[in-house]
Amino acid sequence: MKKIIILMLLCFVSLEAVYTEKVKVPSITFAIEDDPNIRVMQRNCQWCHSYGYILNQGRQSKEFWHKIVLKMRDVYHAPINARDEKIATEYLYKYYGNGREKEGY
Amino acid sequence: MQRREFFKISFAASAALFGSKSSAFATSKPIDTQKVSPVLFPEKKPLIVHSDRPPLLEAPRTTFTRAITPNDEFFVRWHMPIIPTPINMDTYYIHIHGEVEKRLYLRVADLKKDFKPVEVTAVMQCGGNSRSAFHPSTSGIQWGSGAMACATFKGVRLKDVLAKAGLKNSAEWISLNGDDKAVMAKIESFKRELKIDEISDDTIIAYEMNGREIPFLNGYPVRLVIPGLYADSWVKQLSDIYVTKEYQPYFFMDVAYRIPDNECECEEPNNLAKKTKPLEEMNVKSYIGYPDNQMQIQSGTNLRVKGVAFDEGYGIKNVFISLDMGKTWQQATLGKELSKYAFREFSYNLKPMKKGTLTIMAKAVNNKGEEQPFAHDIPWNHGGYKYNGIDSVTVEVV
Ligand code: HEC
Repeated sequence: MKKIIILMLLCFVSLEAVYTEKVKVPSITFAIEDDPNIRVMQRNCQWCHSYGYILNQGRQSKEFWHKIVLKMRDVYHAPINARDEKIATEYLYKYYGNGREKEGY
Repeated sequence: MQRREFFKISFAASAALFGSKSSAFATSKPIDTQKVSPVLFPEKKPLIVHSDRPPLLEAPRTTFTRAITPNDEFFVRWHMPIIPTPINMDTYYIHIHGEVEKRLYLRVADLKKDFKPVEVTAVMQCGGNSRSAFHPSTSGIQWGSGAMACATFKGVRLKDVLAKAGLKNSAEWISLNGDDKAVMAKIESFKRELKIDEISDDTIIAYEMNGREIPFLNGYPVRLVIPGLYADSWVKQLSDIYVTKEYQPYFFMDVAYRIPDNECECEEPNNLAKKTKPLEEMNVKSYIGYPDNQMQIQSGTNLRVKGVAFDEGYGIKNVFISLDMGKTWQQATLGKELSKYAFREFSYNLKPMKKGTLTIMAKAVNNKGEEQPFAHDIPWNHGGYKYNGIDSVTVEVV
């Protein structure tokens, strides 16, 4: 008798099916400034994460942004060519810069 | 093609971030002005959204009045943009291999059937929680203080699973991997490494969170739970346990998530520590959940301050409240200790009489005698990790 009750309980527990289809995560456009160079950003910076990652950093120095671009290229293997590396850094500093060339301490 | 929902978040929405950052080399309070987003994520209440892909969701201050964080307010942090939905539980396996007597493929049903279930209530906190407090800014997500949560996890001991596979004498390390993926094969996935003899009885492979399945965004169907340690080790969608003789170097352990290996765990921006170590144990911290900043409080009425405190597992001894910018401190009342790894609720009653602004500070002390420093006394580290400054909220007494 005891056994039957336990078995029945087990059945109830294992019937719980959770996801029957792919879970949809909403897609949010984190808008960055429009500019002729936005294409460099679109080309290089959208593969692995949203622009939310960029906006989230706040205003930063040129050196900070340059280091970010280099980190994406060297550490995360983003295929960023030398020309785009420069343009992306300029773009980021232009719109999300804090007016300082160097990281100020 | 699947129809997707699109939302647009303007720069203005995140503009709260700007201007508030001083340039001085000093630590300040983490950002606390960000609003929850109206865009709803699966199984979540409105949360602060830092990114949709990968999803980065932070809980607002008001979440932190209760020892247990509801699943729908539990923060979300992924590193890789591709997160599969495990639909067929008969084909979802955790593969245990390497230096073991027999290779195992365990389904979630096998975990439930063949192992002793255990429960642990523990705080999960991102190592970069409160990173926005550090100046100069350190690269990484600029979290406020809501990248933390506490839940009761149910699952099976990692040790028991390893024992079932049978560890060979040569087994020293395990590396753990989840199912989330990068867009390019070259990018390493988010693997973690643990030393076998350091695995505690409280380290579990969890399949339940607060009595329900683990939410998709929190690592469904199984995730690792390592009480006391920062969340970067709590692998989500765990699918692979590889037992090895030697330590395997991985990017996220050997380059990211590292802190200075010195007494103060600190360094200077232009003089970084030569020796570093992985980010591991948490430190003592508390956070006020109520009232919220800028709330209007009627003078002469009762105000009940509420919040949570925790540490790496010594347990919370006291929480103190200050109403005079930290000159004098009064003891708050502590709630029940759910576990030494859990959020400990605290509360403090007061009746503000004087009109104007009132700043309420909270400071936790653990059983080891460690206490939270003032925000400005917290030294800098390049990853912006382990911030645990004294929290404060400022309300308007009217
Ligand atoms: C090949 C993949 C890839 C590409 C392409 C890429 N990133 Fe990243 N980026 C990453 C990864 C991985 C992280 C870390 C993710 C995490 O921890 O959540 C990251 C993080 C960031 C961060 C957060 C700060 C930090 O250091 O973690 C910023 C800002 C950022 N990326 C900016 C950019 C910009 C600007 C570009 C274009 C020049 C770019 N990314 C292109 C992979 C990429």
